[in-house]
Amino acid sequence: MTDFLLENFWVIPIYSLVGAIITLPWSLGIIRQTGPRPAAYINILMTVVGFVHSSIIFNLIWARPARQFIFHWLQVADLDLTLSFELSPVSFGALEVVTGISLLVQIYALGYMEKDWSLARFFSLMGFFETALAGIALSDSLLLSYCLLEALTLSTYLLVGFWYAQPLVVTAARDAFLTKRVGDIILLMAIVALSSYGEGLNFSQLETWVNGNQLEPTIAAFLGLALIAGPIGKCAQFPLNLWLDEAMEGPNPAGIMRNSIVVSAGAFVLIKLEPATTLSPISAHALIIVGTVTAIGTSLMAIAQIDIKRALSHSTSAYMGLVFIAVGLRQVDIAFLLLFSHAIAKALLFMSAGSVILTTSNQNVTEMGGLWSRMPATSLSFLTGAAGLIAFSPLGIFWTYHRWFSGSWDVDWWLLLIVMFVNVFSAINLTRLFRVIFLGKPQVKTRRAPEVPWQMSVPMVSLIVVTLITPIAPLQWPLWLSPNSPLSLEQPGLVAQYATPLLLASGALGCIIGSTIKVRKAWSRSSNLTLRFFQDLFAYDFYIDKLYAITVIAAVSNLAKLASWVDRYVIDGVVNLVSLATIFSSNALKYNTSGQSQFYITTMVVAVGLLLWSMINGQWSMVTSYWSSIM
Amino acid sequence: MLSALILIPFVSAGIIGLISLKGNAPRNIAIITAVSVLVINLILAFQFDYQQESFQFVEDISWIEWIGLNYHLGIDGLSFPLVLLNSFLTLIAIYSTSSTIQRPRLYYAMLLLLSGGAAGAFLAQDLLLFFLFYELEIVPLYFLIAIWGGARRGYAAMKFLLYTALSGILVLASFLGLVWVTKASSFDYLSLRSPTLPLATQLLLLAPLLIGIFIKIPIFPFHTWLPDAHVEASTPISVLLAGVLLKLGTYAMLRFAVGLFLDGWVYLAPWLAILASISALYGASCAIAQKDMKKVVAYSSIAHMAYILLAASATTRLSMTAAVFQMVSHGLISAFLFLLVGMVYQKTGSRDVDVLRGLLNPEKGLPVTGGLMILGVMASSGLPGMVGFISEFLVFRGSFPIFPIPTLLCLVGTGLTAVYFLLVINKVFFGRLTEGLAQLPPVKWNEHVPAFVLLLLIITFGIKPDWVTHWSEVQAIALLTGG
Repeated sequence: MTDFLLENFWVIPIYSLVGAIITLPWSLGIIRQTGPRPAAYINILMTVVGFVHSSIIFNLIWARPARQFIFHWLQVADLDLTLSFELSPVSFGALEVVTGISLLVQIYALGYMEKDWSLARFFSLMGFFETALAGIALSDSLLLSYCLLEALTLSTYLLVGFWYAQPLVVTAARDAFLTKRVGDIILLMAIVALSSYGEGLNFSQLETWVNGNQLEPTIAAFLGLALIAGPIGKCAQFPLNLWLDEAMEGPNPAGIMRNSIVVSAGAFVLIKLEPATTLSPISAHALIIVGTVTAIGTSLMAIAQIDIKRALSHSTSAYMGLVFIAVGLRQVDIAFLLLFSHAIAKALLFMSAGSVILTTSNQNVTEMGGLWSRMPATSLSFLTGAAGLIAFSPLGIFWTYHRWFSGSWDVDWWLLLIVMFVNVFSAINLTRLFRVIFLGKPQVKTRRAPEVPWQMSVPMVSLIVVTLITPIAPLQWPLWLSPNSPLSLEQPGLVAQYATPLLLASGALGCIIGSTIKVRKAWSRSSNLTLRFFQDLFAYDFYIDKLYAITVIAAVSNLAKLASWVDRYVIDGVVNLVSLATIFSSNALKYNTSGQSQFYITTMVVAVGLLLWSMINGQWSMVTSYWSSIM
Repeated sequence: MLSALILIPFVSAGIIGLISLKGNAPRNIAIITAVSVLVINLILAFQFDYQQESFQFVEDISWIEWIGLNYHLGIDGLSFPLVLLNSFLTLIAIYSTSSTIQRPRLYYAMLLLLSGGAAGAFLAQDLLLFFLFYELEIVPLYFLIAIWGGARRGYAAMKFLLYTALSGILVLASFLGLVWVTKASSFDYLSLRSPTLPLATQLLLLAPLLIGIFIKIPIFPFHTWLPDAHVEASTPISVLLAGVLLKLGTYAMLRFAVGLFLDGWVYLAPWLAILASISALYGASCAIAQKDMKKVVAYSSIAHMAYILLAASATTRLSMTAAVFQMVSHGLISAFLFLLVGMVYQKTGSRDVDVLRGLLNPEKGLPVTGGLMILGVMASSGLPGMVGFISEFLVFRGSFPIFPIPTLLCLVGTGLTAVYFLLVINKVFFGRLTEGLAQLPPVKWNEHVPAFVLLLLIITFGIKPDWVTHWSEVQAIALLTGG
């Protein structure tokens, strides 16, 4: 039995796809008598099956070396496209997180989406979503991962656009798709190039190829940059970061998935691609720069948001920025740990936010307050999630940072400064959110706020438990990807000695600022012009969207208008002119017996013109050799 | 056997056109004809040996000896996928024709003539015979646009006729020149392939042929007939035009331009690759600015057809196979999109993206059409899992080693596909259903059958692409080796 399960490990992603397909009749409205509930139950059941199956395999293959399973997908001419899967503790660890969170989210959605008339469509999309995510966890092939990333792009589009009748949702869905698509297309270019230069597209082959490649430095640099473009889009990194915060218009359960696992899927692919970033120093530097800019920028954006989901989603980009830096420094284990602890804590935070939104029908935090006593489970979830993300409490992220700075590598001061910066602002953001939402006096919209139903509270409480045990998980299941594991026994360097206390201090500082600042006043528009300038700058995301509107979007739309104008008036204009002239002249020539000679003259002029052209352009030998060949 | 693929449609066209039939009889005969042609094709598919380089099921009858015209038919891996596509899309087109169409006898007769003519052109292994079919198919299409078209049908049909007639003359000029130069005794394709002409001669003969072909495909700047023709043509005709008739151009490109003038082709290839990328980007840019859904799909066709030119210009083993694959893939996807746009037009009376709004509405809108449209759009913009992705990937992978910059530019074009199509989806299907559109007639499930069948193929070939590529692989490679 276990052998059978082990051999057929590749069906795990397919379970949820099957669920999605089985429930199509409900989503399409063919089955109406039963209501949409059966569709939800079927999808949850399939996820349970997937979770159980992957758990069994995870235990079976624990501490065994990784194995690759290669499928020959397509052989054409000299090209052999293979898709390969990895059966390893790491891939199944990732799969456990995917199926586990997906299961909790779907149960949560049962409560959150209860009154939505297209519940079945939602669950079908979630099934599709989960398939792509689970596939990425198992994939060992860049091509397969690309395909699944694209499937994620599509399902994100459909999930963000779930309530497609609202105008904001429409633009959010479009922006999410197009922004990610920019990254995806550049990644596709890289894949085409890599496949042309390289041996194959499997991650495990990548490293050997990179070490022996003979590429020119410029090409290698471009290739390296193009490869990281896809993850930049997926992980909402600068300059492709804005979609994630816009995507908050979609249903919240999908938002949980997006902010915890989907961004992680992009980063997971990046981690797998890490050998390729060594193609050229430029790509590694680019990763660090992008990560740093995003981490600092989005940390600032987050504290100025008054929409609960947007405040949290900007912070997602910031943590992903840290992941990018870690990959750029080739510390993939740290990146992996960051992803793990962030995913769990962020999922919990989003569940809590979703409960607040559902109960109060409101996303604006300035209209909230006093929910502590009314929604205890939700408050506790928020608190635990926040604790998991701030290096002040001894939960997941603290231990990750700790490992980062006491690993067997040299750490620089700048890195510590960036991490402290993110930590301070994350602490400010989460503390002030907690205060405005849960503490203080209740306002109109939060006065009557009952706790959420069990479908939502049970997943939340389960995740609280998971968040509390995340610090132990890396000890229990040490899934190190690279040989230089982050646990070092050597004497730590100077930075490392001060790192942990400094990090704790930064967390404490953030919490103190966050809890002393005047929240309500400070987040209404200030009358102090300087303060207001910065507030607006952060709240409107540094006006990046405006910048896009006047650059890229304006360029494409003007180019389109220009092309369309040229098409209509120049190219088609010539065609119509010629035809008009023909009609006109033939009408005129009807009465003219010398029409024939004019025709000859035109022909001669054209022929002489062609001959002249060939002489001027040095094509003359062509003409002469042609005639000599005929003679 | 191959003659049947041409004769059955022609004979049925004669029966429908000449005998006075009442009611649904013309439609039923047309469907029976299309089904039988498809069945014959499927039988051929089972007997077809795709490892063989030479032509199969050959029929060679001397016709007009003093000109050198032979009735020489045969299929190989290059033409057979297209013959199959033709018979399949003909059935789709006939099925999706409204049963209340005006002058049904003439319509179905013309449609069958068109289909038979296209099949003949794909099957012909004699240059003059190809030219005859190539011209023959223009006439019914002219009438199909001019009689059953939209408001500006006269203009569009005339433009189409003039353009394609010019294309035909240029192709003929090149063929005549070839026979004259080689002093060949007949127009037989295979015998004309063997002698290698000097480069200059090849270029002189290739130039008119290429312009003729570029008009047909169409490639920028010879494309302006296509958007007009598509906008004015009715839905089934658009399906055939995009799905089959444009492929005559790319087929002729591979078969004759590459097959007969390989040296000249390779000499011009760098310029052709650049032209392909211009055409792709130009088509995509124009598509963004369009307000008529059908024009968007038409310009998108121009962009996607340019990838075939790109692949052909690279002349690698992979890219030639990819070119054929891209033809099939574009045939299926564009047919799918035209069907859905036609469905929207039929139910709402409009194709204007500024008028339509919120059609995904599950109660009063067109939710299934909308859902299919989203999938079609994704297929066209190259989403993995559907046939558009893998065919374009092979095109790009095949041409990248030879022409990296044009390939990357074409990839940008692929990115733009998502832009213009998402704009359409967002405007037409998302949003709130407007009052004026609130009482749309429901779409019956049987009206969706063609779209679902196409979708099934699009996904199947997306997952199992070798079911298409193995047909043409051997032959595509043989084109390059002169075998």
